[in-house]
Amino acid sequence: MTIEAINEQLLRAIGVGVALLNRETLQFGFRNDTFDEWFSGDTPLHHLQQLFPDLDADAVQKSLLETGRYSSEISFKKKRRTLVIALDFTVAHEDVLVLVCQNITRIKELESMIDSYSMMVERNTRELKREKEQVEKLLLNLMPRSVYEEYKTFGVVTPQLYDPVSVLMLDFVGFTEMVASQDPSVTVTELNDIYTAFDRIGEQFGCERIKTIGDAYITVAGLPDPTPDHAKAIANTAIRFVRYLNRRNLSHPHQWRCRIGLASGSVVGSVVGIQKYVYDIFGPAVNLASRLQEFSEPMQITVQDQVAHVLKEQFKLEEIGPKMIRGFGEQGVWRLADEN
Amino acid sequence: MAERTLFEKYGGFSKISKIVISFYDILLDNDEVGPFFDSVDMSRMVDHQTKFIASLLGGPASYTDNQLRQLHSHLCIKHVHFDELETVLKDALEKHNVAAEDVAVVVAEFGKRRPLIVR
Repeated sequence: MTIEAINEQLLRAIGVGVALLNRETLQFGFRNDTFDEWFSGDTPLHHLQQLFPDLDADAVQKSLLETGRYSSEISFKKKRRTLVIALDFTVAHEDVLVLVCQNITRIKELESMIDSYSMMVERNTRELKREKEQVEKLLLNLMPRSVYEEYKTFGVVTPQLYDPVSVLMLDFVGFTEMVASQDPSVTVTELNDIYTAFDRIGEQFGCERIKTIGDAYITVAGLPDPTPDHAKAIANTAIRFVRYLNRRNLSHPHQWRCRIGLASGSVVGSVVGIQKYVYDIFGPAVNLASRLQEFSEPMQITVQDQVAHVLKEQFKLEEIGPKMIRGFGEQGVWRLADEN
Repeated sequence: MAERTLFEKYGGFSKISKIVISFYDILLDNDEVGPFFDSVDMSRMVDHQTKFIASLLGGPASYTDNQLRQLHSHLCIKHVHFDELETVLKDALEKHNVAAEDVAVVVAEFGKRRPLIVR
């Protein structure tokens, strides 16, 4: 067998489609087996444009003239499979054009699969992110942000002493009777509205709501970020709680009346529990605020002696006098009034 | 810890993609069920197969019963077609050495959808 014959056999058998064309007329001179397998139908077509009607002959000639090459892609159906073939024209001689065709169907199929998969994954990632934000929002309702960050980073929260802070304890008058005498779901809905309003008021003065236990609401100024104005912040918050309830009662059939106690001192804040954790605070200031609240008449604010002295300059305070306070002995007690 | 899905067990997308391609090849050559895809273009079809395999193996795709019913409502799919696709699915999984008990799980998962697809 001659070298030419071997060459021709090789050319015929390779998995790449090869054809030779007359450069002027774009008539086929030679086509290998692979080429014929892909492109030859029942009637053999002799002209490039008969075979590929979508091909722009002028563009082909122009590109060949400028660079000696032209590349394109065509896709067509063979049975029910879409084949994608890359066409590559090169000028070989003055008058001979070589057309090399590669089957890039698999590449295109894989590209489509990657598109499909990455879209699924991206959608899932978005959903996960949304869920994570939901969880974060929920946890931020349970604890201050700085505590949450610590919890997220280390998985635990070290109890921390905050000193000094001011604590506000609020309790509603006759709540138990209210729940018993009215539709409990209405009562709870209203309680929710009121707590939401309290949260907003507290936020304005830099207070952190710690928790609610039924009809008791506890908020703190000076935690987690210390502030020298914690007593004033808590007094302002307390006055606005009462104002808010007074205004609300004017337009609502259910009358909500509260007692408030204010005390300053130290507290320890920490996450308590492992499975069902809550952020909570402990310390004398919490207990004292709770006792003082009991001294209040409805819609009044009772204040610890020490706090009263800080507030005297800017707030209106009435001295009630010394009282015996369980766990704290005899202490001076004051009433905080709203000047407006 | 959540149980590992078959999708993870068999190496995630890099391995599953090979199953998808085999499934696609076998399906196109199959004259019983192939004709359902005669007029579907390539990228849509690959997208369809990727999601199909991923959803059966617990990958990042899932369809609700209603979606499946709606997506197939315009096709006249009979039990014989569904049976044939089950064979195609089995062939593709076995070709990539998915363990027999896992093939059974996937096929059972596939079978659950029968009432939504066949009419």
